Amino acid sequence: MADHSSFRRHPHPFSVDLVRWLPTFGSTGRLLAAAVHDPAASSSHIHLLSVSDPSTPLTSLPLPSRATALRCSPSVLAAATTSGSLHLLPSSFDTDSAVSVPSGALFHVGPVRGLDCGGGTGGEEWVTAGEDGRVHVVAGGGDGRVVARRVWEGKGMVGYQAARWASPAEFATGGAGCGVQWWDRRKGDAVVVQCKGIWGHGIVTGMVHSIDIHPSRKHICVVGGSSGTIFAWDLRWPQQPIPLSGVGLDGTAQPVCESEVWEVLFDNYTQSSDIISSASTRILPVMMCSEDGILAVVEQDERPLELLVEPCAINSFDIDPHNPSDVVCALEWESIGVLARGRDTMADE
Amino acid sequence: MPGVPTDGGAVGTVVPFSREPGDAVAAPPVRTIRHGVAPPVSRVYVSFSSGNLLQVACLGPPIPEGGGGRGAQEVAVGRVVEVNLGGGGSGPGGADVEEEIDEAEMRRIQYGSVPAFALLQSRKNALADAAAMSRVPSVSEHAEWWQYVLEYSKTIGSLLGNPDSLPAFMIDDPKTILKDREKPTSLKASWELLEIFFVDKQLKSWLPERFVDWLADYDSLLTKTENTVYRTLTNFQKKLINLQIVEDDPDYWNGLAAALSVGWLDIVVNMLRFHGSYQLDQMDNRETENGLVEAVAVLVSTMPRMRPDLPTGKLGHCCKTRPDFIKALEKWRGQVNKLECSAFWIQCGHQKTRDGLKNLLHIMLGNIKNLTAATSHWLELFASHFLYIRPFTVGFEGMNHLAQKCIQLKPSTDNSGLTGLLGGILSENPEVVLAECTKSFGPWMVTHAMELLTADNDYADMMLHEERPNIGGISLEELHRLVYAQVLCSHSLTWQIAPTYLSSCLNQGLGLLEILLLKQPIQDNRLVLKTLEICRLYELGNVSTNIMKIGGIYHWKHGRKGTGVYWFQQAHDKVRLDRIALQLFENIGKSVTDDSFKVLISTLLYALSFV
Repeated sequence: MADHSSFRRHPHPFSVDLVRWLPTFGSTGRLLAAAVHDPAASSSHIHLLSVSDPSTPLTSLPLPSRATALRCSPSVLAAATTSGSLHLLPSSFDTDSAVSVPSGALFHVGPVRGLDCGGGTGGEEWVTAGEDGRVHVVAGGGDGRVVARRVWEGKGMVGYQAARWASPAEFATGGAGCGVQWWDRRKGDAVVVQCKGIWGHGIVTGMVHSIDIHPSRKHICVVGGSSGTIFAWDLRWPQQPIPLSGVGLDGTAQPVCESEVWEVLFDNYTQSSDIISSASTRILPVMMCSEDGILAVVEQDERPLELLVEPCAINSFDIDPHNPSDVVCALEWESIGVLARGRDTMADE
Repeated sequence: MPGVPTDGGAVGTVVPFSREPGDAVAAPPVRTIRHGVAPPVSRVYVSFSSGNLLQVACLGPPIPEGGGGRGAQEVAVGRVVEVNLGGGGSGPGGADVEEEIDEAEMRRIQYGSVPAFALLQSRKNALADAAAMSRVPSVSEHAEWWQYVLEYSKTIGSLLGNPDSLPAFMIDDPKTILKDREKPTSLKASWELLEIFFVDKQLKSWLPERFVDWLADYDSLLTKTENTVYRTLTNFQKKLINLQIVEDDPDYWNGLAAALSVGWLDIVVNMLRFHGSYQLDQMDNRETENGLVEAVAVLVSTMPRMRPDLPTGKLGHCCKTRPDFIKALEKWRGQVNKLECSAFWIQCGHQKTRDGLKNLLHIMLGNIKNLTAATSHWLELFASHFLYIRPFTVGFEGMNHLAQKCIQLKPSTDNSGLTGLLGGILSENPEVVLAECTKSFGPWMVTHAMELLTADNDYADMMLHEERPNIGGISLEELHRLVYAQVLCSHSLTWQIAPTYLSSCLNQGLGLLEILLLKQPIQDNRLVLKTLEICRLYELGNVSTNIMKIGGIYHWKHGRKGTGVYWFQQAHDKVRLDRIALQLFENIGKSVTDDSFKVLISTLLYALSFV
């Protein structure tokens, strides 16, 4: 089967931690946001880059510390940092009108890795979940005022690593050793269901790094974590998570990777190979990136399709929501990769 | 600061530092550290963290029990300060490299060479295993080895190019002599030199021509202050814009002679076409002159070359075998002689043209005086010998002898690393080659070039692999790799590629790798996970357990109890987990009124139950 995909690697100085597609278009095409850290100068920035030339930033926003989470909504770009602050930038990328919520006793102390937009009545509320065990919902942003409301004070008893909205009133979080939790704001801002997850044979528990929820199947989360584990959690059967990839699991195909799965995203571009009986119980294809340099699409009970096998780690990736055949990824060795997939990306044989 | 004990005293002696007036050694720089701890500072701990970071922990006297009645008052009892001692000095590139290649570019080269190096090492190990099992030295496998090294060499050579500096659009100005190409770097020049002389076995028969090609690419790098053919031509190019009568300028003829002597035939023919006699309004008056110029141009473009093929745009008549070449050379020289003796010269009106063209003819006939006058640097004279005087020079001894002769004729004071390197190569001295690489091109170059030196050279192989007691029983190869690994570890962006090099060092590598991993900071969970992944790849189970335990205690002490418990679970640290569980049971038993706190503790206990 002819492979029409093309992969370009662009060197970008200093550590590129996170990379996201921006919903706006620039004069030369699509735009990217990248969170970059320079260890020698101990400075961190959000760079605005053009896809045609990602090596030179168009503008940049300085951050007080290293970025640990980056997310775009249609009108706002948000970044959370390792000191616990949150920074919101309007999509015009006017650095003067950036709003921030400083770290501290009222917000977070410590890295905030769970960040997502989509809650509230207008879909413009942000959820933040940090390693300090606190969960906040931040509303506003864009008009100059943001209000952070504390949803949960964990007092450090759990450390959250990921968060994702499912609906305007529900979101999911995942953390270190505590599996995934489902929160419902209508039921008093509390965890309504939780699940330990399936981590593979010989592995008791792991750290959740990323959660994704498909916009059209809001009861299913896909979770990526340590030791190459990817599983799906269907709320209708909350104590029976469905393994998609993992070390030493019986019944699934060869695990796609054995190290940390940093990010997972539902992949709209890959057609499910089993279109005929695509009953609602089947998990849609999921793309993942990992520490051992693999970018692959994983499907339930199918062989994973490897898109990239790099000699260095792939720390972050994003699928272009306007054009799902394009994927951008942040490579460990100071570069940004842009993958444009061809027309047929179904797994062969 | 301790000085060096003068009498070779016992190891671990602390010797007071005394600064004598008139001491040759400069006083070390003294830095003030602001630590913010109220005096008196009772203890100071110093240790090196990753890379160039020094961590200084200043502790005041302990607060007596019960004295902290005010509770919330923040008095710094102790503080850890990180001092960055880096800045300037030894980077991965040597003296020549640091001027030409910036840091980000050097790091790009370092990243790119890791997969090539790892592949070569794994092939070497596979061959060694196969040889050990079969106990018969496999000749065919050994013969293939240079091909693997060539592949490795080409991969790394392609990283050293600079494709960005090539302009996208080039409008061909008919009056350009030297085309715009990518800017050459001495790193790439030296790498190619090593590849030509040590690795590429296919080249053996036409090594001289390959050297001429190399010089054509890198002549501009030979020296910074003295004259080279390249500089002569660039200077003339600047003049050319304003020149009306080209053939009156002596620099024109000097440039022609220089380009011809190093074999840049296409440039010579191009420049000859600038001659005034080609202009349409002059053609009738200067017909003979033009005929002579054209005749010389034709002779230049048909010069026999002892090589199988030529790149596009280059001129010459290629001869694949020695008899063919000798025949062609005789015929061609005969034509040159015939032109030299022809009667047309008397009819040529322009003095300078006559002299200039005759000079070119003498160069083509191999006249040493003309060649010496035409070239500027001994390397160029060296190359011109291969083209015009001794085209069959192969073998290092002959080339070395020739090089010495050329150095005598054209002594040079400003030597770049390249000339020193070539000197070492020709004198068949791997020690000199390595020393030049270290001095001018840095640890990256030495580490990767060692593979080229040992590709086919038994002496170099033995010299690099023998274990030497004076450096602690390790081989030179390992020593250089360790030095390079240290450079990598000193920068937080490149420390993750150091394990590849450390694991190829059989004696000290694994020990140093363990130390490197244990020194990585544990504050950031992501970084800890990357460190643990390296432990997993190199099967360092006890190191990863230690890192997890340290991480667990760190997070527990800083209030992130859930994360702390997670790390203890990963480390299977039953002792600490049991202690924590006991503590929490007691808490639940006590009068804790806060229901949500009870919920939290039970969540934690639920997590603990999975030990």
